[in-house]
Amino acid sequence: MTRRALIAEVFMRVLYPLLLAAAIWVLLRGHNAPGGGFIAGLLAVAASAAYALVFDARQALRRLPLGPVRLAAGGVLLALLSGLPALWQGRPFLSHPWLSFGLAGIDIPFSTVMLFDLGVFLAVWGALAGYCLKLVESIEEEP
Amino acid sequence: MMPLEQDNPKSDRLRAVLTTALLPGTVFALLLCALFAAPLPWQFSWPWLTVLDLDLAVYIDGLSAQFLLLITGIGALVFVYGTGYLANRPERRRVFGLLLLFMAAMIGAVVSDHLLLLFLFWELTSILSFLLIGIDHNRESSRKSAQQAILVTGAGGLCLLAGIILLGQIAGTYGIQELIVRAPSYLEDGRLNAALGLIFMGAFTKSAQFPFHFWLPNAMAAPTPVSAYLHSATMVKLGVYLLARLDAAFSDLLFWEYTLVTIGTFTAVMAAAQTVFERDLKRILAWSTVATLGTLVMLVGLPGQGAALAAAALFFAHALYKAPLFFVAGNLDHGAGTREIDSLTGMRRYMPWTAAAALLAALSMAGLPLTFGFVAKDAITFAKTQAEVLHLVSYATVFVNGIAVAVAAIAALHIFWGRDTVPRQVKPHEASPCMLLPPLLLAGLGLLFGIFPTLVDPLLGSAARAMAPGFDAGQVTAAYDLLPVIEATVAALACGFMIYLGWNWLHAHLTRFAVFDRIGPEAWYRRVIDSLPHLAAWQTRRLQHGLLPGYLAIMLAAVTFLVWLLLLAADPVFAWPDTEGMTVPVLGACLLIAAGAITTLFVNDHLVLLLVSGLVGYGSAVLFLFTGAPDLAFTQFIVETVFVVVVATVLVRLRRQPPPVRKAPPESRLRPLALTLAVVFGATLTTLILLVSDLPFDTSLTDFYAAQSLPAAHGRNVVNIILVDFRALDTLGEIAVLAFALLAAWPLLKLARGKQR
Repeated sequence: MTRRALIAEVFMRVLYPLLLAAAIWVLLRGHNAPGGGFIAGLLAVAASAAYALVFDARQALRRLPLGPVRLAAGGVLLALLSGLPALWQGRPFLSHPWLSFGLAGIDIPFSTVMLFDLGVFLAVWGALAGYCLKLVESIEEEP
Repeated sequence: MMPLEQDNPKSDRLRAVLTTALLPGTVFALLLCALFAAPLPWQFSWPWLTVLDLDLAVYIDGLSAQFLLLITGIGALVFVYGTGYLANRPERRRVFGLLLLFMAAMIGAVVSDHLLLLFLFWELTSILSFLLIGIDHNRESSRKSAQQAILVTGAGGLCLLAGIILLGQIAGTYGIQELIVRAPSYLEDGRLNAALGLIFMGAFTKSAQFPFHFWLPNAMAAPTPVSAYLHSATMVKLGVYLLARLDAAFSDLLFWEYTLVTIGTFTAVMAAAQTVFERDLKRILAWSTVATLGTLVMLVGLPGQGAALAAAALFFAHALYKAPLFFVAGNLDHGAGTREIDSLTGMRRYMPWTAAAALLAALSMAGLPLTFGFVAKDAITFAKTQAEVLHLVSYATVFVNGIAVAVAAIAALHIFWGRDTVPRQVKPHEASPCMLLPPLLLAGLGLLFGIFPTLVDPLLGSAARAMAPGFDAGQVTAAYDLLPVIEATVAALACGFMIYLGWNWLHAHLTRFAVFDRIGPEAWYRRVIDSLPHLAAWQTRRLQHGLLPGYLAIMLAAVTFLVWLLLLAADPVFAWPDTEGMTVPVLGACLLIAAGAITTLFVNDHLVLLLVSGLVGYGSAVLFLFTGAPDLAFTQFIVETVFVVVVATVLVRLRRQPPPVRKAPPESRLRPLALTLAVVFGATLTTLILLVSDLPFDTSLTDFYAAQSLPAAHGRNVVNIILVDFRALDTLGEIAVLAFALLAAWPLLKLARGKQR
């Protein structure tokens, strides 16, 4: 039986969602301030790795939405799809159109570039967390 | 399919013949009709890869038409023969499928008017030949022969590609007809000989010329229909075809003439001599095919219009007599169970129709009057009188013809006539009709065209015109001059019969002098192939030893070496950098990095080592932060954190397990060699960075992105805008690589997990 660090576990249960929320925040602010999909993805990987350090890699893998392979593939797919609306407008693949619609009096700008960045985020998270956690898992003893 | 065959084998056989031979037969018939209907040459072109100036350009003149007729006509007969030969064999579908593909590739090769297109089909034929030779892949000899064929012809193919590209650059075009038209303008170019030499390598490997001849007799491991089709009638002639194609452009070059005549004659003589060493009928035929290929190369090299005609006639005659002889060898294999000429005598009694086919084909091969072989020999003699060759070449031809007569006599007389003295357990049986029709038909055609040579005159004439543009049709009949050829025929017949009668004596006495086996090119080929595993094992032992310090040392040494090579070549001016940007935070970051790096040297505990080396990373992040790259700093911080966390996780887990290997003693880390390498590497990189930072920095690209970021992409973070908008396609590629790497690593990591259990 492995030794458990109770305080770290309790702390981690709170920290993990906070880190992911921070990653989303970094992702969204990336357009105008330091941040973006790549950094956000790395932040999420850090969250997963910390989770694996405290618990174990199997549980950390299980907390990845869809599992690492599908998460990474889905990210690439999302980034790929985000380039298609431009084709429909007759512009080159991956040129991002911008829309802006009003909601409760506030103008909310929206663009496929956000979908692209989200795809980058998911791909980086899925792929890197996949390698790291699977590698750690391979040296873990069976529970 | 199998039960059907057992139910009604005869109708099924017929159906098989019809279905397999239908396509090549139809193409042959259409081609023949078209030849009568429309005058040559035919020319088409479809745009394909316009960027590479590579169109699907088709040009069919007499030479191509002759090859097309042989490819489709003999192809159809090979399919008919194959349904009998391969009946009830499990691999027959694979053979037929590959043969059809091969036929398509061959047709593509002889109609292409673009050198690169021709090369494409050329390589396809090599690959299909490999697959067909190795069809019986359970036998080691088959696999070895197939490997040898693909290695020899593949290496030649690479040379050919280099030669084609070089030639294309010299001439400014890859179009073959264009090349011939422009020929006088670039014949003086100094690089031309190199280009032609490379093209020779390709043609000689494909057409089994010395010293690359040895793969062809070994290729006889393939089933007989394949040998008859690929390794006698069509594919091996592709090399000669290419030379004949280019002959119109380069026949005036002495290099061209001398190389082809020398190599061709030498190959012919050597291969003719080699036949005496063999006892297997198929291998005897293979060597005599090599001899014919040598003669063809020699004829292509000879100047003059007579030589062009002779080459065209020999192409045709050889296909008409050698393919039936291969079929005969196949029938013997099938009916008597052996191809060894020692255990085959008096077969006429059991296989009368096969004997008839062998006799007809052998008459043509021996070049007796009233056969097409005689017509070809006539044309060759005429060509030599016209081109004024050396006496040596003439004597060589007599010798080669003599051997051809002897081989024909072996195939037709020794095997089929006389008394059957060999004790047999099973009585040999005659082959089925679909294995008799093709050899009889081809050999009969050889006789027909021998009696009425005017039937093929137009075809031979237009084929010769492709090699020698000024060729006029009157030459064809002029070549049929009986007097000089009678002399040559009598000499060859006399020589041949002496060799035939003394074959066993020669064989017994000459095999003792089989020096070719020890010093010939095949021995060298085998030595190289055999030493490859040793070389691989040696370099794996030296480079892939599994010790991380060793890998690191090699990589660092290589990088140091390369950087110094570049530095010495560039000869830069060295200057100390200015200290303007040296603010307090930057200085602090540098001290942090240095402290981390130096401390690592004195720490032994792995976990502490990890944390200390993390200082280097965090120091770099601080440095980036204060030199105007907040995004990079951000990334660096997180990457460093993830790295430390992951490695710490691994280390913590490993600590719980007993250490598998004893830790290396700490002194070994300061081994003098490693220390020297580390210091030199560090100094090299420092020098490089100092030199690079001294170079003027071109800011036009950064200025563009900074200016366009907000108006064009609605964002203020230039770094991220570049990633997701300006260079979004690159980013897409990068994340795709990430995901694919995970896909590739996933099974490996799973495997590691499984092993753990």
